[in-house]
Amino acid sequence: MGLLTNEIKDALKVVGKGGSVVHLATSSIDGKPNIVAERFVTSYLDDYILIADMFAQKTKVNLNENPHAAISIAHPIGSRSWVFRGPATVINIGAAASDTWHDINVGQVLAEWGDWAAKEPPLEVPPDIAPPKVAQRGLIVLKVEEIISSELKTSGNKIS
Amino acid sequence: MKLTPRIENWIESFGVHIAIADDKGQITIIVAEKTSVDGDVVTVDLSENQRNQIEEVLSKNDYVALAPGQLGAIRAPYQLKGSAHLVNGYLEVEIAEIYCTKPGPEAGIRLDVLGYDGMQHFDESRWTDLAPVNPS
Repeated sequence: MGLLTNEIKDALKVVGKGGSVVHLATSSIDGKPNIVAERFVTSYLDDYILIADMFAQKTKVNLNENPHAAISIAHPIGSRSWVFRGPATVINIGAAASDTWHDINVGQVLAEWGDWAAKEPPLEVPPDIAPPKVAQRGLIVLKVEEIISSELKTSGNKIS
Repeated sequence: MKLTPRIENWIESFGVHIAIADDKGQITIIVAEKTSVDGDVVTVDLSENQRNQIEEVLSKNDYVALAPGQLGAIRAPYQLKGSAHLVNGYLEVEIAEIYCTKPGPEAGIRLDVLGYDGMQHFDESRWTDLAPVNPS
């Protein structure tokens, strides 16, 4: 049994499927943080969150030197007041299919999510926000090891 | 760097998500609903739990990153970075770096180096919604 419940998995979907935009935070090894909103998001297995690497720049630099990352729900309506924390990595398009990262098989995850724009096209994204061309470079993967509350009165409390 | 009216309007309407990291690079996010802007300072109204959550980390590393929350995560793609301090229970962030995070070829452009007039021109040439419509 993983940490991601069905309620959480419902939130970790693209907006067009009832999910939410998320914020992905990383940090340089010396503690300079970076936070960016991400639309292409999904849960994977029972403990992982996938985000499409479309235009990530500083995020990838940070993850290459410091694997710690956090993800929050951009619009925490209802009970969706979660921050997910754990190690993260980047799986680039073209990585060896036989490679693994924790429980993830690189070939399998890229086969399923390596062409995200075809699988879940950003049809709900307003034209003035949508990128002129979606160019996926890979996947950002976070292994959820801890879920904490982002709700005002309980912020920082461990949920699981 | 003084914030443009567009950045100010959006983060005052929808709050911010604040990324903080300790001196070992362990990171977390605080979700704040109430923010105000005065020049280059963003003031964030924190709950008691949020203050307790970040106080020790800030004492060792005061550099933070902010991104607009809620609808602003989509329509106001900016990232702000700067030094943060707790003042009378509020978090005050003096903004030193401003980035565009709009998905596409302009992702990652550093805006503050354009100067205030350049940032205003950047906003006004790309956006018609200089303030949210019916924020709630």
